[in-house]
Amino acid sequence: MDYLLTLAILIGLSVALASSFNLIIGYAGLISIAHPVFYAIGAYVSALLARDHGVPVPLAMLCGALTAAVASAAVALPSLRVSGDYLLIASIGFQLGVLEAIKNVSVTGGAGGLTNIPPFLIHEAGRGAYAALVLGFAALTVWLNRAIAHGPYGRALSAMRDDELAFAGLGRDAVAMKVAVFAFGSGVAGLAGALYAHYFRFVTPEQFEILQSAALLTMVVVGGVRTTWGPVLGAVLLQALPQAITFLDLPSALLGPLQGLLFTGLVLVFMFWRPQGLIPAGDAWRASRREEA
Amino acid sequence: MAPVPAPVTAPVPVPAPVLAIEGLDKRFGGIVVADGIDLTLTAGRIVGLIGPNGAGKTSLFNLISGVFPPDAGTIRLDGQRLDGLAMHRRAGLGLARTWQNLRLFPSLSVLDNLMMGPRSYPGERLLRLALDPGGVRRQEDETRRRARAVLERTRLAGVAGTRAADLTFGQQKLVGVARALMNDARCLLLDEPMAGVEGQAYEIMQAVVREVAASGVAVCVVEHNVAFIRDLCDEGVFMFAGRVLARGPVGTLIADPRLTELYFGT
Repeated sequence: MDYLLTLAILIGLSVALASSFNLIIGYAGLISIAHPVFYAIGAYVSALLARDHGVPVPLAMLCGALTAAVASAAVALPSLRVSGDYLLIASIGFQLGVLEAIKNVSVTGGAGGLTNIPPFLIHEAGRGAYAALVLGFAALTVWLNRAIAHGPYGRALSAMRDDELAFAGLGRDAVAMKVAVFAFGSGVAGLAGALYAHYFRFVTPEQFEILQSAALLTMVVVGGVRTTWGPVLGAVLLQALPQAITFLDLPSALLGPLQGLLFTGLVLVFMFWRPQGLIPAGDAWRASRREEA
Repeated sequence: MAPVPAPVTAPVPVPAPVLAIEGLDKRFGGIVVADGIDLTLTAGRIVGLIGPNGAGKTSLFNLISGVFPPDAGTIRLDGQRLDGLAMHRRAGLGLARTWQNLRLFPSLSVLDNLMMGPRSYPGERLLRLALDPGGVRRQEDETRRRARAVLERTRLAGVAGTRAADLTFGQQKLVGVARALMNDARCLLLDEPMAGVEGQAYEIMQAVVREVAASGVAVCVVEHNVAFIRDLCDEGVFMFAGRVLARGPVGTLIADPRLTELYFGT
């Protein structure tokens, strides 16, 4: 049962990450693959505040999310003033730089990782309650992203993606919108990281490397970029499949490479068979039914 | 000998310019697109910018709207300096424009294209959406009502729900103008609104532009369709090589053999 609850927590966190990443790369059209570094910032900031400074865990988690949001805005603001392409370069540089810093600073536990992170809710209410918290957070993230994407903000994002010059010519501030949406998505990733840290109580920098970026990108692209349910489906699929393989009773020498091949194989299959992902996005922006009313 | 007193004349009221451009210069390397341009636009008048390709007409619109900054000179809208402001801030002060190559939002419906047009769009602020959803909704409803009224004026109400990319070229040109009207602008710049437009859209375009000017907006039109300019504009400005060569009634300008030669070449 504990195994299934832990799997549910991992799936919930992946759903929140993929959904918020979809808001950034899909709806806003911002090219960045550094989402895991904001996940890391949330995890480390929350863990360190709670462990070393006695900050109550819920407050530490919020600080982790806020730090991730502020850090992302600090990366996005100067690069987006130049051009969208610079965000990709700046965010990758930021991801590599932060992870190197984490590996080489003693306060973060270095490459060996951060241990003895205070738990949250598990002792008092059990793993089931934590799983419910994470799944509730994932559901809230999906709902919020849907509300954003199909409301007035989503209309503006769609217009900005279509033609940024015309968008600015109508009086809309494209840079402010990009920074805000990047910070919001990264803040969600930070909160997901904090939830991860206080459940597993151990984090290492290698969990947030470029490989994690590739996994997240695969979830969004395979599921269906710029759709509400595509990243959810992608996250469930790519978290559950590697776990399902472990039930095949294969030798461990084969299991590891097979799990690695799964991502590559899926990307290749989808590239040729269904490039639009499992759930394809339409060409037209649609308001939510509430907006249309 | 006593000085001769100056003749006493009644002062002629000169309307304050809505848009005032002084000494505007811009060059890209060796290419001069604006060379000491002085130009004023006044409320309620339609000015046609004419000149051959490469004269600097669209570049002038780009300088005014902030696509790129000038090397020198000033641009004022109702006395307020625009030349140091970002593009979106200029639109926020009441400067609206259309584009030669349309630049509609193809993924949005016609109505949603217009919804993006007002000076204030509260839906672009995440914090405002979170803290004041009721206020945003009310403003959206108001904007939707205005957008529907503009679509009625431009005879586009029947295609309000159609994706902009699915319209005919003439209709798309009208959507571009309708979207600019949502700004409630003090100054409207129309870049080749008639290129590729014929039939009913032509008549509608003329009527709408006249109506807008009559409401007190300063309008400037770049257009190669000389008949349209002659029928519509109160006066013309002839541009060549980034300079304003002449200003006056359109009929006089196009009858000037020197300007005709520059326009058509020899």
